[in-house]
Amino acid sequence: MSEERWLERSERWSRLLLRLYPPHFREEMGDEVVEAYRDRSREALRRGGVASLLWVWLRALADSLRNGPGERLRPSIAWRRMGSWGRDSELVLRRLSRAPLFVAAMVGTLTVGLGAFAVVYAVVDKVLIEPLPYENPDDLYFAWRDYGAIFDLKRGWLGGTDVAALKDGGGVIRDVAGLGRESRTLGGEGRGEPQEVAVMVSTPNLFDLLGVRPMLGRGFAPGEGGPGRPPVAVLTYDLWRNHFGGDRGTVGTEIRLNGEPYTVIGVMGRDFHFVRHSSLGPPQGADVYTTFDVNLAETDPGAGSYAGLLRARPGATPQAVESAVEGVGRRVDERDFQSRGLRLYPVGMKPDLVSGVRPALVVLGLAGLLLVVVLMVNLATLLLARAAQREREFAISRALGANPAALVRATLLEGGVLGALGGAGGALVAIWVTRGLVSLAPLDLPRRESIGVDPGVAAVVVGVGALLGLLAGGVPAVWATRTRLSTLLGATAVRGGGGHGRMRRGMVVVQVALALVLLSTGGLVLRSFAQLLRAEPGFQPADVLTFTVPVTQDRYPDDAAIRAVEDRIRDALAALPGVRSVGSTSALPLTADASQTTARFPSAPGNTGEDEHDAPLIDYVSASAGYFDALRIPLLAGRVFGADDREDARAVLIDHTLAETFFPGANPIGATLMLGGDSLTVAGVVKQARLYDIHRDDRPQVYLNNREYVSRSLSWALRTDRSPMSLVSEARAAVWEVDPQLAVSDVRSMDQVVAESLRQQRVSTVLISGFSLGALLLAAMGLFGVVAGSVIRRRHELAIRMALGAEQGQALRLVIGEGMSLVLLGLLVGVPGVYLAARVVGGVLVGVSPFDPPTLGAVAVGLALVALIACYLPARRVLGIEPAVLLRQE
Amino acid sequence: MGMDRERPIERFLPLRPVEFHVLLSLAAGERHGYGIIQDAETRGEAVVPDVGTLYRALRRMQDQGLIGAAERRLAPDAGDERRNYYRILPLGLRVARAEARRVESLARAARLGGLLEEAGA
Repeated sequence: MSEERWLERSERWSRLLLRLYPPHFREEMGDEVVEAYRDRSREALRRGGVASLLWVWLRALADSLRNGPGERLRPSIAWRRMGSWGRDSELVLRRLSRAPLFVAAMVGTLTVGLGAFAVVYAVVDKVLIEPLPYENPDDLYFAWRDYGAIFDLKRGWLGGTDVAALKDGGGVIRDVAGLGRESRTLGGEGRGEPQEVAVMVSTPNLFDLLGVRPMLGRGFAPGEGGPGRPPVAVLTYDLWRNHFGGDRGTVGTEIRLNGEPYTVIGVMGRDFHFVRHSSLGPPQGADVYTTFDVNLAETDPGAGSYAGLLRARPGATPQAVESAVEGVGRRVDERDFQSRGLRLYPVGMKPDLVSGVRPALVVLGLAGLLLVVVLMVNLATLLLARAAQREREFAISRALGANPAALVRATLLEGGVLGALGGAGGALVAIWVTRGLVSLAPLDLPRRESIGVDPGVAAVVVGVGALLGLLAGGVPAVWATRTRLSTLLGATAVRGGGGHGRMRRGMVVVQVALALVLLSTGGLVLRSFAQLLRAEPGFQPADVLTFTVPVTQDRYPDDAAIRAVEDRIRDALAALPGVRSVGSTSALPLTADASQTTARFPSAPGNTGEDEHDAPLIDYVSASAGYFDALRIPLLAGRVFGADDREDARAVLIDHTLAETFFPGANPIGATLMLGGDSLTVAGVVKQARLYDIHRDDRPQVYLNNREYVSRSLSWALRTDRSPMSLVSEARAAVWEVDPQLAVSDVRSMDQVVAESLRQQRVSTVLISGFSLGALLLAAMGLFGVVAGSVIRRRHELAIRMALGAEQGQALRLVIGEGMSLVLLGLLVGVPGVYLAARVVGGVLVGVSPFDPPTLGAVAVGLALVALIACYLPARRVLGIEPAVLLRQE
Repeated sequence: MGMDRERPIERFLPLRPVEFHVLLSLAAGERHGYGIIQDAETRGEAVVPDVGTLYRALRRMQDQGLIGAAERRLAPDAGDERRNYYRILPLGLRVARAEARRVESLARAARLGGLLEEAGA
C-alpha cells in the first residue's frame, strides 16, 4: 500500500475521532488537527512503518477520548476562567432597557407568581419551620390525660395532682408548670370601660421554664404561688399598650380582676405570645398572667382542669420523655384511680401546635411550589421566544467568531436579572398581601402574629426569582449554543421560525399538565368549601347578635343574685326595638366552650350493658328558655324549658344523637337522665347545634336549664329584625343600664361566628383558587404564543393550501388542531399528577371525594375550553392570509 | 480584547505544561500547531503534548489573548493552506516570563530547603 493511501486512512481516522469533540471545536480547529495528525502519521510511517503508524492511531484515540469530552465540558470551566460577567451584565441591562414591553411582561408575571409564593413561604416558614421563640423549644412538651379506659376522651386535662406528681417525677423531666385559664373582668374603676380579659393562671415557674423574661419589671418569684400567695400579675404587651397606654409606671400599680386587687409586677415583651394548648379546641392565649392560690398537690385528683407544660432535660429523646411521663402516669393511676387504666402522655409543643394546620399548609405549600414550576416554564417560553427573535443576531455573532459561552452567559444573565427583579416585586407584593392574609387567617393559626415578610423571607424570594430566571434562561441558552448560521439563516429566511418550536411545544404540554393538577386541586378545595358553607350546623345563624357578659363573684356572690341580674339583662335586651327573641347560654355553637361529663339513661331501651356504650362522654351546656328560639335550634320532640322560674329545674333537653342511640323507635320524653350525681327528666329532643366542626356532629349534647344550673359567663343571643351589628351600641347601653361594671365582650353576629370558624378553610380556598387560576392563565398564554408562532411559521404552507383550494375554515382547523393536540397531550400527562395531588389534598377535603368525577370532569372541560379560546384567538390570523399577495411577496 | 490585557498576570499562573510549551515555542518565532509539538520533541521533553491537548490549548489561549493567529506564513509548504500559524502576543510573553520566574523561585526554594541536590549532582 502506498504512503498516500495510508495517510488517507489516517485522515479518515482522525476525522472520525474529531466527532468526539464539540461541533464548535471541530468547526474552528478540525482541519488543523487533521493536518497535525497527518504530519505525525507521515513521520511515523517513514520512521517505523505501519506498526508505528498503528501506534499513532491508538495514541490519537486515547488523546481524543480524553480531550473531546473535556472540550465539551469546557464552557462551564471557561466562564470561571474568563469572567467577563461584569461587561455582560452591562450589555444585558442595556439590551433589556430597549425592550420595556418584554421586561414588563416578564417582571409582571414573576411579581404575581412569586408574590403568591412568598406569602405561602412566609406562612409555612413561620408556622412549620421556624422554632418557637423559647429557650430550647424542642425540649418543651404538654402532658395530657388519656381517659380512654373510663370514657371516650383521649386528650383530657390533667388533675392538679398529676402536675405535682410529674414535677416530682425526676429523671429526664426537668420542670413542670401547671396552667389554667379563665376569663375575668378587668375593673373599669377610673380606667375606662370594664374589659373582659383572659387570665393565664399558672405555677410561678412558667416564665423560667419557657426561658423568657419580662420586658419591664420581673417575673414570678418561686414563693409567689400556692395558698396565701401575694396577688401579683404580669401583663402582656398588647394589654399594657391598649388598656394602660404603654405607661411604664404601670408596674407597681394595682389592678382589679373580678374586683380583686392584684399588683402588676411586670410586662412581657412585644414578641411574647404564649398559648396554652387545650384538651379540645384550639390553643388559647392570655392577656394577664397570675399564679395559683392553691397547692396543686392538694386538689381533687378527679377534677381534671389543668394543662401541664413540661421541660425535659437537654438532649432527652421524645421516647425517654414519653416513658418518664407514662411511668408517673402509672403511679398516679395506682394511687388516685385504683388502677382503672388512666394514662399520661406528652406531646411535643411544636408538633402539637401546628398539627391542626399542617395538612392545609402542606397542600398550600405544594400548590405554591407547582405554581412556581409553571411560572418557570412560562418564563422559559418567553425567553425562548425572545431568543428566537434574536436568532439571526446569535447566528451572525457566532459566525463572526463570538464566543458561544458569551452568548450563553448573556441569555442566562438576562433570565437572572429579570428573575431577581420579579422576585423583588414579588416580595413587595407579598408584604402587603401577607398583612391582609394574616388578618384573614384563623385566630388560632399558630403564631399568626409573627407571620410577615421579613428580610430573610424577602431574600429567599428574590433568590428564588433569580434562580428561576437562571433556570428558565438555561433552556434558550442551550438552544443558542446549538444555533448554526447555515441552518438558521436558511430557516429564518424561509419560515420565520427556527428549531425552537419543538421545545416550546414541549413546554406548553408541561404547562397544561401542571395547570390541570393545580386546577383539579383548586376545584376540589372549592367544592369542599362549598360543602362547608352549605352545612346545616343545627341552628340558623342569620340575623343573630351574640356577646358575652361575665358576672363576677364580688358583685354577684350567689345564684340568686346571678338569676336576678340575668333577668334584668334579658328584660332590658328584649325591650330593644327590633329584638324578637333573647336567649342565654354557657356555650355558643362553634365555640368549643362546653364542659364534659358522662351521662346515663338507666332505663333506656338502647342500653347494651357495656359501660363504654351506656355511659358516653357528653358536652353539657346550660341554656335559657328563649335560647332555642333565638338560635332556631330545631325542637324534634317534647318541649323546651318553660319560662317560669325553677318550675323546670330538673328538666333537661337531649340532642338527636342521644335520642337515636338510647331510644331507637321509642319516646325519650319523661325518661330519666343521670348526669354526674344528678337525676334529671328529659323534656325534649333538639337537633345538635354543633359546637366544634360545622360540617359534622361531634360528642352528644345535653342542655341544662340555666335557671337551676347558673353560669357566671353567660353568652347572649339576640334574634332581630334589623341588621344585628346595628344593634351593638344599644345592646351595650342596655347592659350597662343594668350595671355599668359589667363587661360586654366577644360582640359578634352569629354569621361572623360561623365565618370565623371557617376562616382557615376560606383562606386556603382563596389561595389555592388563585394559584390554579394563575396556572391556567399562564398555560393559556403559552398556548397562545405557540399557536401564534405556528401561524407565522406555516403561513406559506397555509397560503399554498389555500391557493390550491383549501377553505379558510379548513386552514383554521388545521392550526387549532395543532394547538389542541398539545392540550390533549398535556391533559394525558397531567393525569398521574392529578392522582398524586388528590392523595395529598384528600386529608383536607370535607364532603367531597378526592376523585370526585364531576369536579375533575368540569376541570378538564374548563381547561380544554380555555385552551380552545387561547388557540382560536391567534389562529384567526389565518383568515388574514391572502395567498396571492403572500406568495408573490417572497 | 483590550480589557483582557489589563488583567493581572497572576490570574494565568501556574500555567499548564502544554501552555508553557506553546509560549516557549512561539517566543522563538511563529509556528503552526504541529511545529510546536516538534519543538517539544527536539527539546527532549519527557512529556510531549498530544495533538488534541495542544489544539484545545491553542484555542483557549487565543481566547485569553495570550497568542494570536499569524498573518503571514514563514515557511510555506506545498498544500499547506489548511494550517494556521500562531504568534505570541505581548501578554503571552509577560505570562511566560512570570511563569519562568515562578518556577525558578520554586526551584531555588526547593534547593535551599534541601529538596533538590545541587545542580549537576
